[in-house]
Amino acid sequence: MSATLTIALNEWRLWLRSNLALFSVGVFAFLLAASCIISALQISSATQERLELQSLAENTFFAQPNRHPHRMVHYGHYSFRIPPPLSFIDPGIDDVTGQAIFLEGHRQNTAMFANARASANLGKLSSLTPAYVYQIFLPLLIIIIGYASIVRERETRTLENLLAQGVTGTKLFIGKSLALYSIGVILLIPLIILLTLATMNGEQSLASFGLFFIYAAYLFFYCSLTIFVSSVTKKRNFTLGVLVAVWLVSTFIVPRLAVGAADATTNGMGKIESDLVMQRALRDVDDGHNAAAPEYSALLTDLLAKHNVEKTEDLPVNFRGVVATKAEAKLTEQFNRYSDQLMALELSQSADVARFNWFSPFLTLSSASRAISGTDLHHLHRFLRETEKLRFDFVQGLNRVHAEQLRYSDDINRSLDHGAEQRTRVSSENWKTLKPFRFSPDSAFVRWERAMVSSIPLFLWFAAFLFLGIQFARKLEP
Amino acid sequence: MNRLVQEFNFLVRDHGMILWLLVAAVSASVAVILGLAEISQQRQTIANLIEIDREEREVALAGQSDWGGAAYYSFHLTYDEPSKFAFAALGQRDVSPWKHRIRMLALEGQIYESDPSHPDFALIGRFDFAFVIGFLAPLFIILLLHDWRSREREEGRLEWLSASSSNLASPWIMRSGIKFGLLAICLLLPLWLGGLASQSQLSTLALASVITLAHLFFWGLICLLIGRFSFSSSVNLIIGILVWILWAVITPVAMRIGIDNRVPLPTGGEILLTQREIVNDAWDLPKEATMKVFLERHPEWSDFARIDRPFEWKWYYAFQQVGDQEVETLSNAYREGRTLRDDIAGKLSWLSPPALTERWFQKLARTDAKASLEYEQSIRNFHAYLRTWFYPKMFRDIPFDSTLLADLTTYSDVKTTEK
Repeated sequence: MSATLTIALNEWRLWLRSNLALFSVGVFAFLLAASCIISALQISSATQERLELQSLAENTFFAQPNRHPHRMVHYGHYSFRIPPPLSFIDPGIDDVTGQAIFLEGHRQNTAMFANARASANLGKLSSLTPAYVYQIFLPLLIIIIGYASIVRERETRTLENLLAQGVTGTKLFIGKSLALYSIGVILLIPLIILLTLATMNGEQSLASFGLFFIYAAYLFFYCSLTIFVSSVTKKRNFTLGVLVAVWLVSTFIVPRLAVGAADATTNGMGKIESDLVMQRALRDVDDGHNAAAPEYSALLTDLLAKHNVEKTEDLPVNFRGVVATKAEAKLTEQFNRYSDQLMALELSQSADVARFNWFSPFLTLSSASRAISGTDLHHLHRFLRETEKLRFDFVQGLNRVHAEQLRYSDDINRSLDHGAEQRTRVSSENWKTLKPFRFSPDSAFVRWERAMVSSIPLFLWFAAFLFLGIQFARKLEP
Repeated sequence: MNRLVQEFNFLVRDHGMILWLLVAAVSASVAVILGLAEISQQRQTIANLIEIDREEREVALAGQSDWGGAAYYSFHLTYDEPSKFAFAALGQRDVSPWKHRIRMLALEGQIYESDPSHPDFALIGRFDFAFVIGFLAPLFIILLLHDWRSREREEGRLEWLSASSSNLASPWIMRSGIKFGLLAICLLLPLWLGGLASQSQLSTLALASVITLAHLFFWGLICLLIGRFSFSSSVNLIIGILVWILWAVITPVAMRIGIDNRVPLPTGGEILLTQREIVNDAWDLPKEATMKVFLERHPEWSDFARIDRPFEWKWYYAFQQVGDQEVETLSNAYREGRTLRDDIAGKLSWLSPPALTERWFQKLARTDAKASLEYEQSIRNFHAYLRTWFYPKMFRDIPFDSTLLADLTTYSDVKTTEK
């Protein structure tokens, strides 16, 4: 035991004496600190801003004067996506998707104002978040610090002496590992601080722990890989080359290839086809503005028979409102069918990308990290579904007012007769049909489950290199 | 010449080098293939959408009985066709929309909708040629050339080589030169093949090649500089990678944050909420108030602007336009802000060669922020055209005649006449 400790301590002493190692640590520490500050500031101001806009949108809706209820259907409402607490560590897709969505009758709008579109364009690597630093750059630091650990002893021929003095390969391996893994642990400290902050800001501690867990697994994977490659290669330069190659290919090349492959295979027909489907589907559905349209004559006959009256004017309900309700329901059904298809397509494309998880620890970790942070595709989809429900509910609430509180004869004459126009205005009390809405992430359990299933390759890679390293250390040769 | 062959034979036995060249060639080829596939798919999508758009508009217009309804129910497709060279730099087309359907309502409520492309894809980013050249090629150069001198020393050949050569530097320069040339071929060959397949202009391809070579050469010089100090090969490699991180990551990030903070934009929500309030308040305002603001822009309709009934289409479209007019300041600020951000980024990018290279490629491919702003402007122009087409018919109360709608030009026609 004391031999392994001595080896670990010696490794540390060496690092502390090496200017290059210290300088590298300095560069990465700067990256990490800068990313934390930048990201925390950005997300907290975005959260603040969107919360304010959300309340503003609700209050202005409620404050609208008495008017025709269908006017409020078109007045519409805005819903803003509030970033979850962990998003200042991993904002995920927040930057590339719209932050606000306009909810109105007869239409299902797409989200507006993606940040990435308005930002200064300085290349593809120009965003910096703590998640990015952990996912992309800290592995490189581990490689730079640890690549020489065993191969150095071999190259300078000190390995022979060590083995001759009775230090077994296993002890050497454990000692060197201990040193490098302790670096990994130190690198996790800033993350722990960030997670503590997020937990104090209302994140469930299970989710915070989950994030810590997968990032630890990722850094330890790179530790195990580095020690393993260092123990099987003969030249320091070659060791470093191999490790940098693995890093480069798995962080920059494989993920983008995965995107290209997923896009080329599924989307060839997908995007166009789903556009087509919606266009065609919407052709036979109208917005219910024209209650005299032939498709509503059967509805009218039924209603007249039911209430045993002759004329539309004599119905106890406003036929226009009935048509509006009916049309909105039918239209929404079509919208939802279309958007469900689109979401299913997007999820299957994400699954295609995830097939490359086995070849890229980066891809594995980044998707798990988004899943736990609540900034992944699942959350975006749920946001869209919930806002759609919000839209449908308030529109139908207003349509009910339209059907029940307005007289048909006034309603049809309001474009021509000022008196009728005044009588079709209903009390603003009715606007309360809109429910306040704040988006919140899934429960920590659900997020944890999603993340853990997708990060299996990461755990297996870590275990594999640890196992290989131990096996190889037993028969370590100079 | 003999020396060259000799050096070449020597290098072929260097397995590390062969491996790196292979990675470079595969990266460049895959980037070109994926780029070509993406662009042809975007073309196909546009072609299909033009067809659907025409059909849909015919159906929508068929049931109309007045000009207002015709304008309300007919959507018009606008699109930004990718250039021939776009396969090499997909650029902003991932985050900015390149297809948009608009109608004659207030434009500010429509124009900011973002095209729902797959968010994971947009986040991870595309693997295009510009990325390979801008961000990966420097790493390839560093990996190939960092040990140009240190390796000979480590393998004990330095003394011998220095003694046997007349010019001290030449053997390494030649060896490095060959490596450089091979890497350039591995990267540029796929580009030229892709360029020929997409029928890009030769001048564009030549310019792209010059940019590529210049960028590679710059990083070659960096390696040469690092190698002059007598560090070991692995130290050289680490220094090279740190320099790469400094220029490819830290500098662009710092500049982007600096620029975004320096040039604030009105928030999107602000534009949307203001615009909606104005459009909706119009319903409750006296009609004359709305028409007065409208007529400031369109004095030619002053004689036709009397609104008698509670609802008239010309008043409806007038307040839609007033909605646009009133947020003009905000909307211009948003647009000018983005232009200014891009201008500053263009100037500052000289501080980061990788970012500069990528921006040049996007410029050549017309996929930069400027191109997407131009597309936005062309949507605005087309929307303005719709207004000039419908206004005379509404204001002069010309009886509705569906045959006249055949004169309504589509976005494609406007685009072709502009060219």
